[in-house]
Amino acid sequence: MSKERRNLLLNIMSIILLFVVLFLFNTYGTNYQIRILNNMAVFITLAVSYNLVNGICGILHLGPNAFITIGAYTSALLTMSAAEKQMTYIIVPLIWPLNVLHTPFVISLLLGGLMATVFAYVISFPVFRVRGDYLAIVTLGFGEVIRVLANALQSVTNGPLGLKGLVPYTNLWWSWGIAVVTIVAVTKLINSSYGRAMKSIREDEIAARAMGIDPYKHLLMAFLISAFFSGIAGGLLAHLITTISPTLFTFFLTFNLLIIIVVGGLGSTTGAVIGAALFAWGGEALRVVERPTDLGFLKIPGIPGMRMVIFSIILMLVIIFARQGIMGRHEFSWDWLFSKLGRKERGL
Amino acid sequence: MDDFFQLDDLVMQFGGLTAVNDFSIKLRPGELVGLIGPNGAGKTTVFNMITGFLTPTSGRVIWQENEITGFPVHKVTEQGIARTFQNIRLFTDLTVLENVMISFHQRIRTYFWEAMFGFPTYKREEKRIRDRAMEFLQDLGLAHLSKEKAGGLAYGQQRRLEIARALATRPKLLLLDEPAAGMNPQETNELAVLVRELRDKHSLTIFLIEHDMKFVMGLCERMKVLDYGITIAEGTPAEIQSNPAVIKAYLGEPK
Repeated sequence: MSKERRNLLLNIMSIILLFVVLFLFNTYGTNYQIRILNNMAVFITLAVSYNLVNGICGILHLGPNAFITIGAYTSALLTMSAAEKQMTYIIVPLIWPLNVLHTPFVISLLLGGLMATVFAYVISFPVFRVRGDYLAIVTLGFGEVIRVLANALQSVTNGPLGLKGLVPYTNLWWSWGIAVVTIVAVTKLINSSYGRAMKSIREDEIAARAMGIDPYKHLLMAFLISAFFSGIAGGLLAHLITTISPTLFTFFLTFNLLIIIVVGGLGSTTGAVIGAALFAWGGEALRVVERPTDLGFLKIPGIPGMRMVIFSIILMLVIIFARQGIMGRHEFSWDWLFSKLGRKERGL
Repeated sequence: MDDFFQLDDLVMQFGGLTAVNDFSIKLRPGELVGLIGPNGAGKTTVFNMITGFLTPTSGRVIWQENEITGFPVHKVTEQGIARTFQNIRLFTDLTVLENVMISFHQRIRTYFWEAMFGFPTYKREEKRIRDRAMEFLQDLGLAHLSKEKAGGLAYGQQRRLEIARALATRPKLLLLDEPAAGMNPQETNELAVLVRELRDKHSLTIFLIEHDMKFVMGLCERMKVLDYGITIAEGTPAEIQSNPAVIKAYLGEPK
């Protein structure tokens, strides 16, 4: 009991500490640093929710970019004012009622999440009829369909022109607040009986069914919850970069998320958080390689896209040498930390 | 309660191959019945038809006066029929305790959001499940291994864990698919004692497939013999042992 209380206390303290650090960055940090931190939080939300499906349920779902797109567009359309929308939709006017709807940011995020969930529910019928590679292809196709629709449905999405000049509502409080809520909620779910049922499907679906687990119900549950948080993160992303267009939500977004959770360790929320943080920070740090460099004796012209090459090499190295990723399926816990510290104190 | 569990003329055809033909049996509560037969006789197919993994081509599965033929697997388990597998199928990366706790999930009374947001109702339920699962582990002598990964257990322990996991679904009918496979004679003897104990403690009806003749003959009150999908004999162990059709199926025609 006392251990449980201690862990709860430590959790609350670390969250407070996190927000103190964020406050310091918010006050004294540069815009560039704040931007990286925001990115980090959005990717943490995305990776943790994506890991719920791919890592915990063990199904290869390749369509999170669809849910992020849906969340981003829904949320963006709801925060834009009627006048702004009229200015933006110059080729084909926006259809009713979207052209007059206007909601506060928080409601637009929630509705973005809900809209993604609704789409996830509709797609779930074909998706969960198949498993393995087939499921991967169905979800991959769905991601592509949504991107193409975003391009083609000009009266809803403004087509390839995209939506510009969104109000930058996403700040450190929103992005990290939602990241923390996502981590807590998903972790609690994973450690509950429902999470165990999902893991049992991953381990052996036949045995899970024989133990009374309905695979469809639990896979659907994970899929919908994941889509919900992905949709919210999409809304955050839209109001972070303030300009969205279909090119932003290609398969590369899914690919990046996949790299994050595989490098972090499939099935580990801690791993997803570490992977996302490394990705958001590393993505910026690696901009160096895309810049033209002059080594005195050798001049390298800037190669755009070089970062993706490096990420891909990292992915290959992880798959070859550390297939379990950084964390494997392990999770960080205070008990683990204290047992490590205790061992050090005893000089072991 | 004569019609506790009944199989009526089950037929399973895979394309042109008839794996099981006209299989019928009635089980009374508390019985210990064996199903034997040479390799490929269709014994596991019978289990798969009962538990919903296969839908019979024709015939009916009657459970407590209701027809459950073609029910989804998890619904069959919900009805009170549990099984183990011939080739052990544990959740190898989960702990021994978690393996058993999963069996309680079908009867969970709290919703997922109660778990997600740490409601006290969920915490109580989790504790109840943990305590009950520990009891089943104790019954099967696995309590001291509760924190180990299931995949790391010794072979005999894995077999016992499978039984614990099946029992934790609270079945009335337990189907054991070759529980003694790969065990040494001493382990087999212990298993026979354990199966009887469990039947009495949990008032189970047990239907089991086994190759180990000594084990089956000593344990079962009644048995059925399958060969190429056809029931060739049934009766008490003594009757089966002297049945010429059985001897022929196992040893071939005398020259």
